[in-house]
Amino acid sequence: MTMTATLGHAHADPHHIGRATEHPGPAPKRIVTAYGFWVFLLSDIVMFSCFFAAYAVLVDQTAGGPKGSEIFEQRNVAIETVCLLLSSFTCGMAGIAADVRNRLWFYLAMAVTCVLGLIFLAIEFKEFADLVARGYGPSRSAFLTAFFSLVGCHGLHVSAGVLWLLTMMAQVFAKGFRADVLRRMMCFALFWHALDIIWVGVFSVVYLLGGGA
Amino acid sequence: MSDQTHMHVEHDIAPGDEEQHSVRERILGYVVGLGLALLLTATSFFIAGTNLVWQPSIPVALIVLAIAQMGVHLVFFLHITTGPDNTNNVLALAFGLLVVFLVVGGTVWIMAHLNQNMPPMDQIMQMPR
Amino acid sequence: MPAVPTVEATMLGKLDWSAIPLDQPIPLAAGGVVLLVILGVLAWVVVKGHLPYLWHEWITSVDHKRIGVMYILLASVMLLRGGSDAIMMRIQQAIAYQSQGYLPPEHYNQIFSAHGTIMIFFVAMPFVIGLMNLVVPLQLGVRDVAFPTLNSVGFWLTATGALLVNLSLVIGEFARTGWLAFPPLSELSYSPGVGVDYYAWSLQISGVGTLVAGINLVTTVLKLRTKGMNYLRMPMFCWTTLASNLLIVAAFPILTATLAMLLLDRYLGFHFFTNEAGGNVMMFMNLIWAWGHPEVYILVLPAFGVYSEVVSTFSSKPLFGYRSMVLATMAICIISFMVWLHHFFTMGAGPDVNAIFGIASMIIAVPTGVKIYNWLFTMYGGRIRFATPMLWSVGFMVTFIIGGLTGVLVAVPPADFMLHNSMFLVAHFHNVIIGGVLFAAFAGFEYWFPKAFGFRLDERWGKVGFWFTFVGFWVTFMPLYIAGMLGMTRRMQHYDVAEWRPWMLVAAFGMLLLTIGVLAQVTQIVVSIRNREALRDRTGDPWDGRSLEWATSSPPPVFNFAFDPDVRGEDAYWALKHHAKQQQLEDHSGPEYQDIEMPKNSPTGFVCAFFATVMGFALIWHIWWMVILGGVGAFATFVVFAWRDHDEYVIPAAEVERIDRINIEERRNLVSLAGTL
Ligand code: HEM
Ligand SMILES: [Cu+2]
Repeated sequence: MTMTATLGHAHADPHHIGRATEHPGPAPKRIVTAYGFWVFLLSDIVMFSCFFAAYAVLVDQTAGGPKGSEIFEQRNVAIETVCLLLSSFTCGMAGIAADVRNRLWFYLAMAVTCVLGLIFLAIEFKEFADLVARGYGPSRSAFLTAFFSLVGCHGLHVSAGVLWLLTMMAQVFAKGFRADVLRRMMCFALFWHALDIIWVGVFSVVYLLGGGA
Repeated sequence: MSDQTHMHVEHDIAPGDEEQHSVRERILGYVVGLGLALLLTATSFFIAGTNLVWQPSIPVALIVLAIAQMGVHLVFFLHITTGPDNTNNVLALAFGLLVVFLVVGGTVWIMAHLNQNMPPMDQIMQMPR
Repeated sequence: MPAVPTVEATMLGKLDWSAIPLDQPIPLAAGGVVLLVILGVLAWVVVKGHLPYLWHEWITSVDHKRIGVMYILLASVMLLRGGSDAIMMRIQQAIAYQSQGYLPPEHYNQIFSAHGTIMIFFVAMPFVIGLMNLVVPLQLGVRDVAFPTLNSVGFWLTATGALLVNLSLVIGEFARTGWLAFPPLSELSYSPGVGVDYYAWSLQISGVGTLVAGINLVTTVLKLRTKGMNYLRMPMFCWTTLASNLLIVAAFPILTATLAMLLLDRYLGFHFFTNEAGGNVMMFMNLIWAWGHPEVYILVLPAFGVYSEVVSTFSSKPLFGYRSMVLATMAICIISFMVWLHHFFTMGAGPDVNAIFGIASMIIAVPTGVKIYNWLFTMYGGRIRFATPMLWSVGFMVTFIIGGLTGVLVAVPPADFMLHNSMFLVAHFHNVIIGGVLFAAFAGFEYWFPKAFGFRLDERWGKVGFWFTFVGFWVTFMPLYIAGMLGMTRRMQHYDVAEWRPWMLVAAFGMLLLTIGVLAQVTQIVVSIRNREALRDRTGDPWDGRSLEWATSSPPPVFNFAFDPDVRGEDAYWALKHHAKQQQLEDHSGPEYQDIEMPKNSPTGFVCAFFATVMGFALIWHIWWMVILGGVGAFATFVVFAWRDHDEYVIPAAEVERIDRINIEERRNLVSLAGTL
């Protein structure tokens, strides 16, 4: 055996730590990629937590402007929520379709996901536009600042997700279900599902907790 | 070399991947997840707007429901479970949650105390000495 | 109602000729010199025909070793820039007694802001990230990091941030708000210029780079270890890398969010931290320090890792208390998220809050103390060789203890009420950052230089550099402790108190010694490059090392190891050497060499950073069309990258064998030499 190949039988493990299991070596690429992306998502969630914290701190600072309960529309939020939940489901279906390499179902599921995402964005955009038109834009008060930033940050993520989704579809169209494309698809699904988790926090903390009288 | 000592390779699972399942079972998983999520969401919206429950319990209930729903998403959509091959994913999640908890909790706590100890000037003037 | 913008305002935003500081000779001259040097180097490269080499071998490289070297180069260059700022400030404070000195206030304020920003974000960070990049995959026995191309993106984004900060010298101005840009001073109403925008956008862009590096290294350590490299067999440096990068992925998003809020305030009239409309300035303090305290441990943990490697190698002993060291590292990783309030004890939190955070801050000193004892016991009874890396390590132990102790001192709230924002604080954090992080950067530089380049650094100049820096540090910063206790506050452009003057003069003298130290190290590099043949390290193991990076040649081949090393215990390479000595290297029955696949080089990182620079510059100057251009360009770059059909190339087995044989021959000589001892 060459030197670089064999290591340390003589001195092996003075503390008998390695008795239990030997590490099998580098993980396969799919695991490495997904794990890295998982770590990224966690860091993204930490970023969101700052906006949540800012919202919690500033929620009462209305500076004479409106309170949450005066501007939130529960019905819109419910529709938005249903859109996102359904889109998470269809995104899951797209993931399965990709794994079994079924193009038709993949495109279909992705297209539905995209449409649901766009509906969500449209409703949110309209909500924002209405508020600004009524003079309740983010510069009106610290509360509105925090509200627009938190909800808007989620909205920006969804927009980025839609862009990624379209790119993903184009890539499957051009390259088929290659291993690297499948890895990216897995990351995309993780991303999309994670946004849903954030949204659960948003509608609970912002719209429902703050919407009550 | 790499093929020589080929022991049974035990790797973790990728976050997002499930253990081997048939397509049917996988779809079923999403259906169950979606059902639970919709149920919890509906409950949240209902509780927030109702007069039927004791009002002060509402915020607590909403937070509990939100956490439950996040759990549902994690298990049924992101497939983060407590299985042995998921250890690393769960540990990362735990670390992330710890930080989220420290940042949000710490901020709220600290800021509450700062407001309490540094009230606006007019309130300071009215304080009993 | 805003007026309809003119064509110029649309095309150029806020940018016009007044942005060039023709009336301020010093920054203009400094910027001009830097520009000339850059242009000169570029011209030289092009004329000499080195451009293709640079492009193919470095700029587009996704090799973790190359990227590590480039990180360290960036850090070293920026160290010179930040160091010049430091010299200017020390001179100012030495002469500005009852006078205005030679730097007007607005300029002095820019200098201390730039100094802090540069030293933390563009010296300390890239230096430790560079070392981790260079060494960790080798120590883990693998071929590359988890995401090689992303690694290059991360580096180039960091470089973008550095570029923007330096651009502010010649176009516009830099922030005058200190290295953390506290509001309300940093809000638009008090800082209407572009300085704060330069600051914030450079940090946002380089922050993305840092986050990418963090994700990459966490994944590398957790998922890419060679066979048998169980967690408790990893070298200490890998553990501290893991802890530090976990802190990066958990803390840097906080910085990103906080700066984003500040930018929203400045650009879109939001009210996070304003005085009006219910904004809350203290929330900035709170959030920025929730990042800021973990940040100091992001810097110092890898430093602890470097010392662990160096002390054990040069004491020829395994690290004492390996497991307690692992525990201490992970404990610091967690606790460092629980102490951030100690940076604003004086700003209104009540006694209960202050007490709890004070106690938590003192607790964090315990695992740090454990580490110091571990290094001491590692040295105890060892055969110690005082080579330059070891000198830096011992110098660190002596110096850092003082810094740690004064840290515990300011962690006592009542004491902090006296010392907060005084020169004492300035002394404290320079004590831990120079004595802890910078000394480690130098120790690691001297220690791993032969690995990266295949020849050692000149020991004599190295020692000169160490002694001047070491003594210079004490002479510069001990007086600051005293000045602080005499009541001198930080960031003073001039002062009228006679008692402070002598200490400022001593500090200025210390700065002279420090400068000589840095020059000696520059000389060391030049001399060593000249004498590189004499200093050549053919064995790959110049220090009698203990971990796997020494098991391959210096510099290592692109693929690092011809075979995946198979690890059976701690100190993997040390065990190998002893094993090999016993067998006298008779055993040739290795398996066949095999083809190796390596990731292809890619300009993605460089191009992406180019667009990021465009976008950052455009954002600073409100040139909106250019912002869109930069954004679209960056996205397009990624799509092009994702569309590649071949992302790997193959190194044939014969080539692997040829390269590996050379190293084995050299190494056999080494082992037979060692056997005769
Ligand atoms: C031994 C444990 C340590 C303790 C208990 C400690 C405690 C403190 C405290 C209480 C402050 C705030 C003082 C004030 O603003 O009045 C402070 C400031 C600071 N510390 Fe430490 N420290 C420790 C180690 C470190 C280390 C290892 C580093 C860096 C590698 C570091 C870097 C800093 C910096 C940069 C500041 C000042 C930031 C600023 O205000 O601009 N500290 N430290
Ligand atoms: Cu601190």
